[in-house]
Amino acid sequence: MDVNVINPILEAFATILPQIGFQKVEKKSVSLMGSMLVNTGLMINIGVMGPLKGAIVIGMDIDSAKMFASKMMMGMAVTELDSLAQSAIAEMGNMVCANACMAYSQSGINGLDISPPTLVLGKDGQVRLSVPKIIAVSFSVDNIGVDVYVGLYS
Amino acid sequence: MQNMSAIRVMLVDDSPFSRTMLAQVLQERGCEIVGEAESIESLVKTYTECKPDIVTMDLVMPGADGFECSKALLVQDPGAKIIIVSSMMDDDTEAEARRVGVVGYVQKPADIDNLMQVINNALSPDELFQTLVTLGSDIFKESLAQNITRMTKEPVEFTDKDLSKQVKSRGITVVIGIIGRYPGTMILDFSLETANTMTERLLRRPARNQEEATTMAAEFANVVSGMATSMLNKKEKALKLRVAPPSVFFGAPTEIASPNIKMRGFTASSKFGDIDLSIGFKKGSVLWM
Repeated sequence: MDVNVINPILEAFATILPQIGFQKVEKKSVSLMGSMLVNTGLMINIGVMGPLKGAIVIGMDIDSAKMFASKMMMGMAVTELDSLAQSAIAEMGNMVCANACMAYSQSGINGLDISPPTLVLGKDGQVRLSVPKIIAVSFSVDNIGVDVYVGLYS
Repeated sequence: MQNMSAIRVMLVDDSPFSRTMLAQVLQERGCEIVGEAESIESLVKTYTECKPDIVTMDLVMPGADGFECSKALLVQDPGAKIIIVSSMMDDDTEAEARRVGVVGYVQKPADIDNLMQVINNALSPDELFQTLVTLGSDIFKESLAQNITRMTKEPVEFTDKDLSKQVKSRGITVVIGIIGRYPGTMILDFSLETANTMTERLLRRPARNQEEATTMAAEFANVVSGMATSMLNKKEKALKLRVAPPSVFFGAPTEIASPNIKMRGFTASSKFGDIDLSIGFKKGSVLWM
């Protein structure tokens, strides 16, 4: 997988997050992995179909997810990941991936579509995506750690 | 379906010949042509006066093109239902059409059956969605039952599953995204023991490791969702459903949630063990066709 394929997703991440209340989106590291991931707490799975196929998974630990949801809900205290907090986090995943589809389209890759997000909560769980390689990008978003895993093939 | 009154159509095209041709075929199908415009200058005024149900829009026009005209109309009425009817149709123009927010795109010379289907879908999108929701769970159930029975040679019994609380995984969860006119998600969930039994039946030997069992789980879910979406597409061509590659979650106590989408769930009891399937669709695809 060409590493540049992830650029529209990174762009989308950096575009959408400031729109939903975050100030500082920093890319920390990029690495190439096989098909397996480990769930550090919560994962948002979004299926992708079109000229590129696979999944985009956004992962974070539970405390980060609570802080993340709290920020999205204008600082409201989030002590547990209830359905409102889950909905907020899922919607963030949906917005980033929908925006990424537009960014792909602008770079000439038309016709990508995404599925609704599914949240999977289970620390230390294993995840296998049906793709040969995954590119993992770690972000710090207002000092909250968020990992974006891109498993796409053409 | 539409109510019995005629569908009121406004035509936007700089060519009088094209307008006449299109008007003729639409009238033959019972549509009423309530307005015509040949450029952006008369567009909004005509639209406001004739209040059509549908606007057909040419793309290549002198001055403002069909996209600019569509944007101008959508500013005036965000609910305007615009269908691009143009001889020009490629990936770029389709992508631009989606960005602008038109409801359909038909290539000229317009096949009238296709155009009428796009018009009807644009006017009754809720009905198509309702059909999918009603048919969807039964068809996914049928696909699951067929695929289990093929291996066990025994019928499968179903019970409804309560999804009002967060769902705990039995051990292996396969999530499959569904893409199409209405995107959705299918989740298949069963225990590792069930996966091992199914793998043994398929390979005629025990699974060598967890990887074999989880790979089988992904493949099984892929077949169930693929068969179900094909059956749905046969019943309703406009759905254009396709399945994304599966993601498999296992190896730790796990809970699954599908926020912002109404899911229906059921449990299939088979001699392999219980298999949970949940399925849901939502409105609002990134694409529209």
